[in-house]
Amino acid sequence: MADETAAPAAPPQESRRETTAFVIGVAGWLVPGLGHALLKMWGRAAAFFLTVGMLVILGAGMRGNLFRSSGNDAFDSLGYLADLGTGTFYLVARSLETNGADVSHAGGDYGTRFLATAGVLNLLVALHAYEAARGRKA
Amino acid sequence: MNVEMGFKLSHFQSMLLFAVLISIAFGFLSRRRPMDRVKYIVWSLFLFLLIGVGIGWAMYPFSR
Repeated sequence: MADETAAPAAPPQESRRETTAFVIGVAGWLVPGLGHALLKMWGRAAAFFLTVGMLVILGAGMRGNLFRSSGNDAFDSLGYLADLGTGTFYLVARSLETNGADVSHAGGDYGTRFLATAGVLNLLVALHAYEAARGRKA
Repeated sequence: MNVEMGFKLSHFQSMLLFAVLISIAFGFLSRRRPMDRVKYIVWSLFLFLLIGVGIGWAMYPFSR
C-alpha cells in the first residue's frame, strides 16, 4: 500500500543532470561567467566575466566599502552577503583595496554600490547558468 | 586613474559607467539574438540615464 502511494524515484539521468546543473551554478558563482563557459555559451561568459570584473575593479578603485564577516549590524551582514556574491572576485577586490575603504567622499559611496551590485549581479548570472543547465532557460 | 590612489570620477561618470555595465549584463542575460541584445542594451541604458537624471532634478528643490 505504502509503495503504491510513494512518489516515483527520479530517474538516474535526471538526478545526474541536477548534479551537473548544481556544479555549473557553483562554478558560475566562484568565477563570474564560468558557468556559461562550461555550457559553451561563450558570448555570455565573456560578457559576464567582463561586466562583473569591471564593477569589482571600479568599486575597489573608488575605495568602496568591502564588507567583512565581522559586521556590526544587519546592514553590514547584508552587505557582506552581497559582496560575497562575486565569488573569488571578493578576494581580488580585497587585494586591490590596499588603502582600505574611504566613504567620506561620494566616490567611495558609489564604490560600495558597485561592489554590492557586482555580487548580486553575479548571483543572478550563476542562477541563470544553473537554470540553463537544467534545460529551463536558453 | 590609479587603483592604488583611487579612481576620481564625477557623479555623472559613475552613473554612466554603472548604467553601461548593468545594461550590457542585462542585455546578455535576457536576450539571445545579437540584434535583440543591442536594442535591449540601448533602451535600458537610455532609461537608466533618463530616470537617474530625472530623479536628480526632482531632488534639486530639496538640496539646500
